[in-house]
Amino acid sequence: MFGELTQQILNGLVMGSYYILIAVGLSIVFGVLSIPHFAHGSVVMVGGYVTFIFVNKLGVPFILAMLISMILCAAFGILLERSAYRPVRNAPPINAFIVALGLVMIIDNLMTSIFGANQVIIKSPFKSTYTIGSAHVTSLRLFMIGACVVLVAALIIFMKYTKLGKAVRATSQNREASLIVGINTNVVTAIVFGLGSAFGAVAGSLIGALFAVYPTMGTFITQKGFAVLILGGLGSIPGAIVGGLIIGLTENLGSMFISSEYKDVFAFLIMIIILIFKPSGLFGGKGK
Amino acid sequence: MMKMKKSVLSKRIAVVVLILLSAAFPYLGFSPYYLHLVTLSLIWIIMTEGLNIIQGFTGYVSIAQASFFGIGAYASSLFVLKLGWTFWASLPVVLIIVAIAGLIVGYPSLRTQGHYFSIMTLAFCMVLWLLMLTLHNLTGGEEGISQIPPPEAIFGIDFTNRVNLYYLILIVTLITIFIIYRIKNSKVGRAMETIRENEQLAQAIGISLVRYKTLAFVISAMFGGLAGCFFAPYMRFINPSTFGADYSMNAILAIIMGGSGTIGGPIIGSFVMNFLPEYLRVVESLRMVIYGLLLVLITIFMPQGILGVVKQVSAFVMKKVTKPKDTDTDTKKTVA
Repeated sequence: MFGELTQQILNGLVMGSYYILIAVGLSIVFGVLSIPHFAHGSVVMVGGYVTFIFVNKLGVPFILAMLISMILCAAFGILLERSAYRPVRNAPPINAFIVALGLVMIIDNLMTSIFGANQVIIKSPFKSTYTIGSAHVTSLRLFMIGACVVLVAALIIFMKYTKLGKAVRATSQNREASLIVGINTNVVTAIVFGLGSAFGAVAGSLIGALFAVYPTMGTFITQKGFAVLILGGLGSIPGAIVGGLIIGLTENLGSMFISSEYKDVFAFLIMIIILIFKPSGLFGGKGK
Repeated sequence: MMKMKKSVLSKRIAVVVLILLSAAFPYLGFSPYYLHLVTLSLIWIIMTEGLNIIQGFTGYVSIAQASFFGIGAYASSLFVLKLGWTFWASLPVVLIIVAIAGLIVGYPSLRTQGHYFSIMTLAFCMVLWLLMLTLHNLTGGEEGISQIPPPEAIFGIDFTNRVNLYYLILIVTLITIFIIYRIKNSKVGRAMETIRENEQLAQAIGISLVRYKTLAFVISAMFGGLAGCFFAPYMRFINPSTFGADYSMNAILAIIMGGSGTIGGPIIGSFVMNFLPEYLRVVESLRMVIYGLLLVLITIFMPQGILGVVKQVSAFVMKKVTKPKDTDTDTKKTVA
């Protein structure tokens, strides 16, 4: 029983790291630009496929392939913003929603027609298994946790201490005022989408090695990502971290104590319960 | 005789022509497949006109409409198949159940605004969808429920006949549109529209936000459930695939495409949403890609929806037609 519990907590931490990597990307896009980037899951999926091509087809080492995937996805994210989100920036918020859904349809179905609907698994270089107490963990899972910690820490340092990071935070607080003081908001937009998508690429590559990637995985990823985000408070990075851990742990502990069939129900239920008591999320502001 | 404004007259003529056209439709010689698509569109109109109350009138975009559609469909089928009720006896009970579900979803969700509200309703939609998928004993899981009988005959009209069923659904659709029209032009409807335009102002002039928003949400849900009640016996088979978040999104799209907050918008949108994917079958493998591309382009270039474009074009034409008159009076003035 106790061994099982540590095992599930470890698994929860791994899944939590995965959700954090996704939610942080969604969070900075939403926090700075107020765009509900529903196509983010599709970017994650594309990131997974890019790594898959480089690792399985071209024989590039995993870490290098993941870096290439991060760069390509960053460019892809910036392209999406330029071509689709920017034209509806001043329209009612739901229009950005709809544009995002259109993007999901385009990307997912294009990927299906190129790669087929079947899932693919990325060859992973991390094969060894460690035993912690009575729980077992593969090095790939540890790498997932490590990548999440390093990347999120780097992001927080970037946002807090660099000039560009300060520009990003200023834009999120007041777009017009930042324009007046000479911040190039177009550069900020590109940074936000680039960083968010690169984080997504890491999540996609690692989940592809851990489980699998398939063309229609994006929608569910985004929905989970938004559940994490709303739970933590829209646009808050600490919120995304805590939210990701809560959802990752609830899912795994819930499936241990109740039933794995209801695993996904738990994630959304806990989000609803928290929102009933705090409509703006754990770390959120006013809830508008 | 009282003089009627030209636009009102033309609108009334359009309504009468549309009703006559839809009444004559089964005898216009289209294939049964088209009758099927039109019937589906009618069911969609019931669902989207309902959603229009909360989305279009009140300005809160709910992603839970497909759930209420599903609750209606499942509840109605279960009453008929498991408890042996008649379709007609189950109808009012199902509507009450959907209203209660609407209250349960709406009350906590409506404490939030904007994106929060949308994503909160999305979460409810996901939970309900997952429950439909996992409560095997009740919903049959992924296999769903099959062999749902059509509504029992009333006044000797047999609804195993597809054409008769079409007329039944047409009548329900017309009643729905009429009710929504009356709501839009009532005190309640105007209160909702005030909330959409400016919530603080609405509160300041004494509109109870909680009451009207909840009312709008529950009415929306009930029409979603009503559509579900007819969807199940029409399709004879239901499973969770048509009650997920993507279906809710399509309903939202139908409203935006047609024209949000108008009576005609959801009607146009419902037909577009049901017919467009069929016409895109020509390009089978890239069908959904083109569909997505159209969505993006329509949203970027026609934010007011199809009805908005029609209005703009007709206003432009009217301006062109009436312009010579204006210049005439102008010249007269200058002469005088």
